[in-house]
Amino acid sequence: MKAINAQENVLPVGELIVSNEQATPQTAVNKLAERFFSTTDLDAIAVVEGKEPIGLVTRTKLLFTLFRRFGFELYGKYPIIAIADTTALIVPENERLDVVIDKALERQPQDIYDEIIVTTPSGAYKGLLSVKQLVIQQSNSLATNILQKEMASARAKELEKINQVKSQFLANVTHELRSPVNAIIGLAELLRMSAEKGSIEQIKERLSFMISSATNLRAIITNILDLSKLEAGKMEVSFQEINATALISEIAETTRILVGKKPVMVKVEAPPLAIMISTDPIKLRQIIMNLAGNAAKFTEQGEITLSLSIIGSSRLEIAVADTGIGIKEQDIDKLFIAFGQVEDAKTKQHEGTGLGLTISKNLAELINGSISIRSAYGQGTTFVVSLPLQNNNARQGEL
Amino acid sequence: MQSKKKVLIVDDDELHLYTTKELLQNDFIEVITHKNWLGVTNVVRNLQPDLVLLDINMPALSGDKLATIIKPYCEAMKTPIVFHSSNDEDSLRDLAKTHGVRGYICKGNIGDLRSKVNQYLKLQA
Repeated sequence: MKAINAQENVLPVGELIVSNEQATPQTAVNKLAERFFSTTDLDAIAVVEGKEPIGLVTRTKLLFTLFRRFGFELYGKYPIIAIADTTALIVPENERLDVVIDKALERQPQDIYDEIIVTTPSGAYKGLLSVKQLVIQQSNSLATNILQKEMASARAKELEKINQVKSQFLANVTHELRSPVNAIIGLAELLRMSAEKGSIEQIKERLSFMISSATNLRAIITNILDLSKLEAGKMEVSFQEINATALISEIAETTRILVGKKPVMVKVEAPPLAIMISTDPIKLRQIIMNLAGNAAKFTEQGEITLSLSIIGSSRLEIAVADTGIGIKEQDIDKLFIAFGQVEDAKTKQHEGTGLGLTISKNLAELINGSISIRSAYGQGTTFVVSLPLQNNNARQGEL
Repeated sequence: MQSKKKVLIVDDDELHLYTTKELLQNDFIEVITHKNWLGVTNVVRNLQPDLVLLDINMPALSGDKLATIIKPYCEAMKTPIVFHSSNDEDSLRDLAKTHGVRGYICKGNIGDLRSKVNQYLKLQA
């Protein structure tokens, strides 16, 4: 216990004084006894000469003395100092709680619960401490300290984690940006070489590589900027009535192109009547395109299904289901963290900035929707985007 | 004429393989590219390259781990292994040191690439 206390910032005992009862040494014993009789919650009185405390009288000890030895007759008229405890524990007001408790408990067993006299640094009487109160106070502060410590260490761990994610983010951003830049530099040098040789064919080929590297670089930068705009709350939203069924069919077409030659079927499942929804079409397209693009990337065979369904009377759910590699349960939480791409960057198999899902989740929230996920490792993944059918542009002004 | 020096480049990025190959190959240097960690050991044994350039970030098996695997073969042929990556220079230097490979080259630094490759190949001769 001492070891713990020593590290903590413990209250000085001056703040825990319970009474400042006092009597002069010459006060008659019977007068003092009357004070105890008439004030039932009075436990002790300090004997003070001038300003200096010189003894202590406790209720239990005084009454015990008076009754056992037929004391009233014997001691009644004596000055109190004759029977007061003149070796009472005296501590300065700035003493630490734990030190005082240790001192109190070191006393003789019969004195352990005696009140403790507190003085100012100059030795003047200040008041009395109740051992019972001190112990209660100490156990409270101990409990608070432990709680505070736990909270502090939890917070520290959290900060450390955020820091790790941030530096990981930076390392990933740097690598993702450098790769296309390095390719562009290499290609520029190659172009110079082709130009010297005068080989138009080579120049054409290398220029097309260079354009695709630059386009890739721009996509990465756009993603990073989108994310920082989202995090700063600077993304603008504009709601309008659109045909969700048509939008999803169009995204399915693009997904078919992304799937390429892989044996993957891209399907759309929607109610026969076109679903109209009031939303931000650009944001919605970006969200669904990202999810469908991921499905295309991670599915080697089987199918990708984009489905629309109305839930209740006010919400639309758009599900993107694939039969791809799926996600391990322990990795699901990492999904929406920037660069939390489940694979280790050094060995990752799939391209991507690792920003897509984070952006999609933030965009979904921006248009008053949400994204949830169902996945079984090895069996595929389903992302469900839930959106309100109506969005009021007026609300947007408040954002 | 003396036979060309052989440089093996292992990288998962096809564009990078293309540019590095085109940048390096000349009358004295022949470049062989390999897009996968699979089979690298065989390529090293059969080809007997004079220099191996390894990317770090590759699917399934990173370049530093791959280096550990091919190192015994390369040491037997006195072929230096050099990391060639877009990673941070400090981390490359550390990786090169901890894996006991000859050195590192930062991707994107063409001057460095050419001079270091020439240096490693000449040292080899």
